[in-house]
Amino acid sequence: MSAVEHSAIAQQRGNWASTSWLGFTLVGAIILFALVTPLAFPADPAKQSLRHVFAGPDLAAPFGYDHLGRSLMARLAHALRLSLSIAGAAVLSSSVVGIAIGVLAAWQGGWVDRFASLVADSFLALPGLLLVLMVSAIVPLQPLAFWVGLTLVLWIEYFRLTRAAVQRLINSPAVEASRLLGFGPIYVFRRHFWPALAPMMLTLAAFGMATAIMSIAALGFVSVGMRPPTPELGLMMVELLPYYREAPFALMTPVIATFFVLLGLNLVAGGARS
Amino acid sequence: MLFRLLASSAVAVLLGTSAFAQERVLDVVSPFELKGPEPGVSGYIYLQMDVIETLVNSDLEGNLVPGLATEWTTSGDGLEWRFLLRDGVTFHDGTPLDAAAAAHALSVAQGKPGLLATAPITRIEGQGNEVVFHLAEPFEPLAAFLTEYRNMIYAPAAYAADGAITEVIGTGAYKITKIEAPLRMEVERFEGYWGEPAHIANATYQSVGRAETRALMAESGEAEYVVNLDPASVARLAELDGLDVYSVSIPRAMLIKANTAHPVLSDLDVRRALSLALDRDGLASAVLRYRAGADQILPPLLSDWHSEHVQPLRYDPDEAISLLAEAGWVPGDDGILVREGQRLSLTLTSYPDRPEMPLSAAVIQQMFAEIGVELTIDLTNSSEIPVRHHDGTLELALFARNFALTPSPLGTFLTDYAPNGDWGAMGWDNPEFVDLIRDLARGRGGQSERDRAIEILQTELPVLPVAWYQQTAVISHAITGAVLDPFERTIGLKYIRWAE
Amino acid sequence: MIKAIGYRAAQALIVAALIGVLTFLMMRALPGDIAFRIAAGRYGYDAVNAAAAEAVRQELNLDQSALAAFFQWFGDLLRLDFGRSVISGRPVVEEIRHQLGASLQLAGAALAISLFIGPPLGVLAGLRAGGWLDRSLLVVSTALRSVPQFMLGLLLIVIVSIQLRWLPPAGYGQVAHFILPATTLALGLAAVSARVARDAMAGVASSSYYAFGRWKGLDEGQVFRRHGLRNIGVPLVTFIGLQLVMLVEGVVVIESIFAWPGIGHALVHAIFGRDVPMVQATALMLGIGFVALNALVDLLTHWIDPRGAQR
Repeated sequence: MSAVEHSAIAQQRGNWASTSWLGFTLVGAIILFALVTPLAFPADPAKQSLRHVFAGPDLAAPFGYDHLGRSLMARLAHALRLSLSIAGAAVLSSSVVGIAIGVLAAWQGGWVDRFASLVADSFLALPGLLLVLMVSAIVPLQPLAFWVGLTLVLWIEYFRLTRAAVQRLINSPAVEASRLLGFGPIYVFRRHFWPALAPMMLTLAAFGMATAIMSIAALGFVSVGMRPPTPELGLMMVELLPYYREAPFALMTPVIATFFVLLGLNLVAGGARS
Repeated sequence: MLFRLLASSAVAVLLGTSAFAQERVLDVVSPFELKGPEPGVSGYIYLQMDVIETLVNSDLEGNLVPGLATEWTTSGDGLEWRFLLRDGVTFHDGTPLDAAAAAHALSVAQGKPGLLATAPITRIEGQGNEVVFHLAEPFEPLAAFLTEYRNMIYAPAAYAADGAITEVIGTGAYKITKIEAPLRMEVERFEGYWGEPAHIANATYQSVGRAETRALMAESGEAEYVVNLDPASVARLAELDGLDVYSVSIPRAMLIKANTAHPVLSDLDVRRALSLALDRDGLASAVLRYRAGADQILPPLLSDWHSEHVQPLRYDPDEAISLLAEAGWVPGDDGILVREGQRLSLTLTSYPDRPEMPLSAAVIQQMFAEIGVELTIDLTNSSEIPVRHHDGTLELALFARNFALTPSPLGTFLTDYAPNGDWGAMGWDNPEFVDLIRDLARGRGGQSERDRAIEILQTELPVLPVAWYQQTAVISHAITGAVLDPFERTIGLKYIRWAE
Repeated sequence: MIKAIGYRAAQALIVAALIGVLTFLMMRALPGDIAFRIAAGRYGYDAVNAAAAEAVRQELNLDQSALAAFFQWFGDLLRLDFGRSVISGRPVVEEIRHQLGASLQLAGAALAISLFIGPPLGVLAGLRAGGWLDRSLLVVSTALRSVPQFMLGLLLIVIVSIQLRWLPPAGYGQVAHFILPATTLALGLAAVSARVARDAMAGVASSSYYAFGRWKGLDEGQVFRRHGLRNIGVPLVTFIGLQLVMLVEGVVVIESIFAWPGIGHALVHAIFGRDVPMVQATALMLGIGFVALNALVDLLTHWIDPRGAQR
């Protein structure tokens, strides 16, 4: 999934660094919200109160209450924490795996390179949601399953970019000089490869996060992701959807939050290209 | 370019409206998928769509009425039942229904998992125009068993040599013209039907898994009969013109099953305390959105089995706490009760297939916490409940149980509580209850015995009743004559007409 | 070219092996008793009991070890035998045929609609890079990419079916049923393909040969046909090939909302019911199908621009 998004955006040019700032601000604000509100308004996101069904905002729940009288703000904050941390973990692990295999493939060349590329292409052929779905059927713990599944999806992107970049650099005079001087692979990576890779990583990470958050929500929405009563963005939407006429604001809460997270990440990624 | 875009969407809209202009087709929408031709798998759909029929039917009150059999008699010793077949019935493939065909269909059904397999039947045969059951012992609910969808009469041509069903051929007022498994089926009026032919020529059955989507289909007027709506949508749809929302109480109950052989749960006082901790009406109105807390196991709908004489189950957390205190359980540091160094901590197994289960489990967890009982929820595949029942590791399980696959819950009591069952009692052995139920099955005993049986369940609490379910349907004003059957056997399809 | 086809063949084999391993792990990871699970999938969650599970166990020969089952599956696969669905008991191929067809129809319709919307708008925006169309397209496509597809679908249902009553909200069987799910998918695709077309076109339009084309007196249409089309063709076709995988993902979610009887729906249900032969076959169809499409894209780009080097 991110392969598609990326290859599309990779070709975007233009000068809109200001959008990047907007993106950072949005994502930052949301992270701050997810981290701080549970501290400022310590409500249990699973705590039901049948007297408060769809009650309006009050001091304990500034966004009001849902269909079971649970604080919408607490649920939203915890849902964002969950999505953001799974997405963050997946992006981190997939970048480590992808960069490592990418450097290895380009460095070694030959059959290692061909085999790694073949495996990466084969993973690419498996739709990401399929991978995540199948892993979640294997791994019993849902967040863990998402993490493993999304890592399997996202590493390819890092692998392909790293491999391409390293292949370009490895025969450059600077790298050859370093190798002749007897510097180890770690030094060469830090000195030569990483500076070339680093600028692309922000874009990839932002797209990876967006992909991950979208997948978690989508699977929650088709009821094969997180299980109630865990607060999760897709699940919150599906739970509140039947009340769209009775309580539109309750439904809009997770919808707007998801939109802004994804928008922010898209802007960061888009802006970082320029 | 924009013009072309607009033009193409205009064409699309025209195509869409022209599709509406075809002959009117009745659309029935329900969550259940067409998984295969076997009655055990999707039979209730063929039954509701009037495609296949049973020997005995039941009316909306649960009384037995003639189906493909016009009458039935029992021999004096109760060991032989004779069902007289209706004359002039033909299957959709043109072959006539005779006693041999019906006996074959029922013999095959008896060999497959289902209620009929639990009846003491030694042989089923066709004699003249009668289907004859030979029994090992008297069995009073036999006629009621034959109303079940797993005991429908398929045509002989529907069966493969090994008894597997390959095609859906019945005797009903509609015949199937097209099956697009798993989501869609088209039926057409069967002109050779034995009764009054159906009024509407064509109908479709559509399986729509998501409750929100079903509600939207009803709201848009796209489907005339939509069954099984989520509580929130019911509230919304009830406000709209052009359709009616119906609800009926159905013989399905939400229960908590307790392992009565478990060291803690074997103590009746603990089970009573857990029962007292349940705010049943609160849970029902919050999660199911109707006040149908179960103060005994079966709802008033099943009038023979809903006892007026038992003490209703109550909500009284204070009494629960004092009961547990008398049994030696005292609050620990974190508020959870402790006795001899052991925490009162239990695991509740449930499954997410029914959307209300995880929520109900969460509500129950909080209610138990109020009296100092720690509950861990294990949401897993529903089949883990029978599995853990058999290996003895189950502690508590929350599930929904249909008590009236037949109009009489007797069959369910026999399999679940006499003495134990996968979806009933566990580690429970009450000889009096078993004798009462077995005698009732043999045709001995009446209302006072049924009341006594319910009273035993009420005081012994092998399961804790939580709530009684309701079924909901949205029926469009475009049709008349549709019904909502508490026993979920019919929607009245063959009687439905287009409204004038 | 032959080398490329050999590469795709090897890729297809690895995809098959990957799916085999994953489903094998899935079998092993199932907690509890698989016979009970299958019985639950078949007869419904509360109709499963020990007797039903025993019947299933005997029918499906479930005492076989998982490793033996894995090798048997791979052997059967090489003979193009997918086995039977453990839930319906029917051959998997028959089960999938209808559903795959329905998905392909939906995906085809979505792709067609997106091609009507995305690339033309992108090209117009690219010709006047920085113009009002370019700017608004950027805003709209960024916003569309930030809305999960299921929200888009629901929004369309509520507006078009409930408020306007123009189209049926869900279902299958008539042309009218196509429009909403296909449009939902198409909007997501068009949002991205418009950007690709825009960037490719902007690049081409600012090139010297394009300027020369104009300078020598060709009108806009002629310049575009002579110099533009072919040069934006390659990135666009490559991109559409990649988009198909996105379509497949969208299909899983969209089919659920619109009650569309497709392969995504089948996959979700098979995974839910632990119908391993169905999971294997649907996953394989999706994976191999994608590899085949990529091979097609290879051929197509080669045909559009023979200069392009093989990967």
